[in-house]
Amino acid sequence: MSTPTTSVAVDQSLLYPSPYKEFWQAFSRNKGAVAGLLFMVLVVFCAIFAPWVAPHDPSEQYRDFLLTPPAWLEGGQIQFLLGTDELGRDLLSRLIQGSRLSLLIGLSSVVMSLIPGILLGLFAGFFPRILGPTIMRLMDIMLALPSLLLAVAIVAILGPGLINTVIAIAIVSLPSYVRLTRAAVMGELNRDYVTAARLAGAGLPRLMFITVLPNCMAPLIVQATLSFSSAILDAAALGFLGLGVQPPTPEWGTMLASARDYIERAWWVVSLPGLTILLSVLAINLMGDGLRDALDPKLKNAA
Amino acid sequence: MAVVLTARDLTRHYEVSRGMFKGHATVRALNGVSFELEAGKTLAVVGESGCGKSTLARALTLIEEPSSGSLKIAGQEVAGANKAERKQLRKDVQMVFQSPYASLNPRQKIGDQLAEPLLINTNLSATERREKVQAMMKQVGLRPEHYQRYPHMFSGGQRQRIALARAMMLQPKVLVADEPTSALDVSIQAQVLNLFMDLQQEFNTAYVFISHNLAVVQHVADDVMVMYLGRPVEMGPNESIYSRPLHPYTQALLSATPTIHPDPNKPKIKIVGELPNPLNPPSGCAFHKRCPYATERCKTEEPALRPLDNRLVACHYAERFLDGAA
Amino acid sequence: MSLLEIKNLNVRFGDATAVPVVDGLDLSVEKGEVLAIVGESGSGKSVTMMALMGLIEHPGIVTADALNFDGNNMLKLSNRQRRQIIGKDLAMVFQDPMTALNPSYTVGFQIEEVLRLHLKMSGKAARKRAIELLEKVEIPGAASRMDAYPHQLSGGMSQRVAIAMAIAGEPKLLIADEPTTALDVTIQAQIMDLLLALQKEQNMGLVLITHDLAVVAETAQRVCVMYAGQAVEVGKVPELFDIPAHPYSEALLAAIPEHSMGAERLATLPGIVPGRYDRPQGCLLSPRCPYVRDNCRQERPALDPKTNSLARCFYPLNQEVA
Repeated sequence: MSTPTTSVAVDQSLLYPSPYKEFWQAFSRNKGAVAGLLFMVLVVFCAIFAPWVAPHDPSEQYRDFLLTPPAWLEGGQIQFLLGTDELGRDLLSRLIQGSRLSLLIGLSSVVMSLIPGILLGLFAGFFPRILGPTIMRLMDIMLALPSLLLAVAIVAILGPGLINTVIAIAIVSLPSYVRLTRAAVMGELNRDYVTAARLAGAGLPRLMFITVLPNCMAPLIVQATLSFSSAILDAAALGFLGLGVQPPTPEWGTMLASARDYIERAWWVVSLPGLTILLSVLAINLMGDGLRDALDPKLKNAA
Repeated sequence: MAVVLTARDLTRHYEVSRGMFKGHATVRALNGVSFELEAGKTLAVVGESGCGKSTLARALTLIEEPSSGSLKIAGQEVAGANKAERKQLRKDVQMVFQSPYASLNPRQKIGDQLAEPLLINTNLSATERREKVQAMMKQVGLRPEHYQRYPHMFSGGQRQRIALARAMMLQPKVLVADEPTSALDVSIQAQVLNLFMDLQQEFNTAYVFISHNLAVVQHVADDVMVMYLGRPVEMGPNESIYSRPLHPYTQALLSATPTIHPDPNKPKIKIVGELPNPLNPPSGCAFHKRCPYATERCKTEEPALRPLDNRLVACHYAERFLDGAA
Repeated sequence: MSLLEIKNLNVRFGDATAVPVVDGLDLSVEKGEVLAIVGESGSGKSVTMMALMGLIEHPGIVTADALNFDGNNMLKLSNRQRRQIIGKDLAMVFQDPMTALNPSYTVGFQIEEVLRLHLKMSGKAARKRAIELLEKVEIPGAASRMDAYPHQLSGGMSQRVAIAMAIAGEPKLLIADEPTTALDVTIQAQIMDLLLALQKEQNMGLVLITHDLAVVAETAQRVCVMYAGQAVEVGKVPELFDIPAHPYSEALLAAIPEHSMGAERLATLPGIVPGRYDRPQGCLLSPRCPYVRDNCRQERPALDPKTNSLARCFYPLNQEVA
């Protein structure tokens, strides 16, 4: 009999959905992840269209309406849906404006630590004899210091402000990316397809970025998502300590800090920014869980 | 027929640390392997786990350098080759792996994986590469639309075809196949073996076919090399080895291989025990602890690989089996 | 009454429209008999035994007209009742010995666990019996191996330990799912000999699941050939191998390198096993069968007695003219 082709029976490989469709099907099965995604879409929307979405100018002070309660409470005004702060600024507008900053901080700190983290992890995995251990000991030292204290120290050296906050958070999250990447790389290096690529004559850059790296992305994507949320928390903490973004810039953590004294009198000035931080972090974490569940089975399938 | 590969006394030793206070031990994974391979022929390397066949595969495909010995591929000596020569060597020898699930990059389209060897090693344009890939895909029984697909969308047999296609893209002089059908079902194995034979005829490639399945080996091999603990114990033409095995290990392997029509008159050779620890190999003949015919001489004197009856065999008493009694 | 009686077993993953992984399987095993179940990937051979042991979980659905073991209706057992049977009267040995043993516990502990749970033994008596079992499976230096961890053992040794655990409860039926596929050929021969010796000694039923026809030819008394979830031929060894009735059995035999008789190429069936999306309306082999006729594509044949065996074919091969 001749060498058979797969033309006899229906070719099953053509009936598989594309990888993106497969991913979306797996992701959407997790209701929490989808809820998280929707919330984040809302936040991103607010961030992008802040000037048009916000009812008032975030820095405009309404002297006649200091510490107005939210609209549903006694004494509240419709024009200030979530009330005003101690300087009469509309809280809703400040929260919307603040979403820009939080997203910016999250995104830029993740990018700033992901790229060097991946590079260092790749090198540590590919050169396990001397370079690898050196890099990992450096990372161990960084991990030995409590992350928040390290961030505080960096900001103290560089000075407070938005950019330095981002730098501090990026440095602090670097070791986890390096570790993850290195672990994933070391796992993949033993696989036959890497040997096959070497046999095809692939040089180091191709091996690193085209052969191995795409197979290490799944845990990295999940970690990046989760670091996003801890970046927001860290920025809030730094802001709360007065070391991060400085007032009057409406950053959620800074808003918490300046409202410290009003917890009893005007709880909304403290609680609402806190609640926003909580919901955003929760949404991102749920998304991260969903991502991990959707991406992992694919890897198992290939093993 | 042109000789495409010459191996002389290939040896590969590993240093293994035995813990903080015990110092180093040497694992002699490969211990003096020599053979010649002609274009279009198949040499089967047979043995069980720990015999050194995987180490041999890595040495032949230039993944690891042998500790000593010489390897010549298409006339080019491997040791001391310069960069340009190494590049050519790279194109001359390729490999197909055992697991169809691990040997393809899960995150790369198979068309791109097939094109990669051409991209790295040739100056062909993108269109030319694509044409060659499509031609090879057709030859191994894949459809043009498969170019865009990812490995997990294919069955084990199809993946092995893809792996074979990738190895043949550069039309290597030597293909090392490391247990290429062990993970496949019987009927798929038959399809893939047929494909191997077709491609060998088409491209006149020499095969080094590593397997522990003696039935498959009998079907595909021109010559057979039986290995035990890093050393060849018997080596010769297919018919000679199968019709009259002279080394007790070869006899035991053949006896242990189940067959559809078992001959009730043929006694089964029972081998006791397991492969010795490579860190602590037995003295003399490595097989003496499990050999039913071992004598004092076998315990102390290591037998050399010597010619006897149309093949090479490493046993002091191989003559006793010459008349066919096993 | 047969030791194991399976009638019309159906296993599907999903709802009633999902494709069955096991489709209307009939099987029986007598006391002390060696039955082999042969099939390729996707034939449903392992799932059948998992269904018997009650190891199929949601979303798998198991239905059968009868699924009886030693007089017990396995479908109707409570979890506690099932636990008293599985591991004791009905035991299983799996394919990969390295993962079948718990890496965190010693070999001795794992064997004694079986003895404790099923034979209510403990303390010195359990340890003594465990050592005896290790000796029975031909592990040298059994007493010292009791304290070894699985990763310290080779593949062959681990499989022997797994067998010791399986026979510890003195089972009436032992199921071996590809027990030697992961092992070298000389170790494979040792393990198969061991299984047969134990089977004879304890008069156990043995169900051997494998894709290796040669192993079947050397060990089994009866064989059931499965294809795409159905039993396509059931018959005695070696008769089935000498005169197969079903085209798939013939194709399997023809594909073995042994049968190439020096021909350059092995005889193969074109195509692959039907999957989820392309299950034929008629006989499941019809897209690939070299002897296919029109009605094969429309109707499904039943498993009926033919000259030498039961075969699921309208036009069986090698039938003696009546």
